[in-house]
Amino acid sequence: MVGNTAEAEDLTQEAFLQLFRKISTFRGESAFSTWLHRLAVNVVLMKLRKKSGKETSLEQVTEPDEESGTPRRDFGAPDLKLSGSLDRVNIQRAVDQLPPGYKAVFVLHDVQGYEHNEIAEIMGCSIGNSKSQLHKARMRLRELLHEIVREKAREDRRAAESASSGED
Amino acid sequence: MSTLDCNAFWNQLERWMEGERSSDAQAHLRGCPNCRGVVNDLDSIRQTAHAMDDADVAPPDRIWASLRSQLEQEGLIHADRHGWAETVKGWFEEIFAVVPRPALAGAYLVALIAVGFALAAPGYRHSDGAQISTRPLTAQLNTDEEHAISFVTDSDPVVAASLRKNLAIVDNYIALCEKSVQEEPENEFARDYLYGAYQQKADLLAQMTERGDTR
Repeated sequence: MVGNTAEAEDLTQEAFLQLFRKISTFRGESAFSTWLHRLAVNVVLMKLRKKSGKETSLEQVTEPDEESGTPRRDFGAPDLKLSGSLDRVNIQRAVDQLPPGYKAVFVLHDVQGYEHNEIAEIMGCSIGNSKSQLHKARMRLRELLHEIVREKAREDRRAAESASSGED
Repeated sequence: MSTLDCNAFWNQLERWMEGERSSDAQAHLRGCPNCRGVVNDLDSIRQTAHAMDDADVAPPDRIWASLRSQLEQEGLIHADRHGWAETVKGWFEEIFAVVPRPALAGAYLVALIAVGFALAAPGYRHSDGAQISTRPLTAQLNTDEEHAISFVTDSDPVVAASLRKNLAIVDNYIALCEKSVQEEPENEFARDYLYGAYQQKADLLAQMTERGDTR
């Protein structure tokens, strides 16, 4: 979720520390796995929020905010699969640019395979909100991947131009 | 013939991706290459993301060493290392006895086992039982440390800071282990932990060097 091994290790340690510190607050009102996952997601989200310069609670993460815009309707964009940009590296680059709330729901659902009802419990939001955030995350990823395609095309064009000017 | 135009299909796209597929939406998709392209993109993103699941990747051993050091500093556990490993093991086992999600429980039990064995395994002793000297290892580590730190100096400051923080934690762990060995030179567990701590540091320095090489 953080796209950086060293940070992931730090956050793993922090999550276990929080587990030790907060285990006494577990009241059995939800499954332990949900409580534990929520704790871990909270640790990651707080880190991501700090990095993006915003201090926000977990509850605010999935509220309509900067992530509530309607996905752009660029019907005519080229098919990503056909353009060959859909590989693991490009997806990871695009995921790194997602807002924290989108990123969390996308990683939990599409990468780790959690269901919306589980994500809703972990994130403290409604199932509908989880579905909506996931859809917006995928649409934003598609936009970002198209930007990556366009950037690659520009780089290729520049490289071709400099090669041809070198021949002159 | 579909009664939906692209805007109307777009309004159903979220439900389509969740598997709610009306006959109108299906008809529109058959006749609209643009919307088909969007759906194909979203499907491909989902499939590629699914293949990225790294759930089986276990954290390196130094995480557990650092965690232990931090917990000791905070007074949440005490320095009785063998006892600590057993206590934590029992503690986790009690917790995971009630965890309903087997995969998650399994993952954390693997972590637990890593904690227990990283701290208790008698893996680094000469076969004749002779005491291990750490002096050559220390000298090598000092050299590696200077080398690794020079590699990360100009790299991403966040990564560099993070690695340095880990290094400081491992150093602290080493200091604790050295103190234990000085106090109880015959304690085989204390010697094992010290050697393990050096191993952790060597691993961390190797990672720093690798990170520097890729930049």
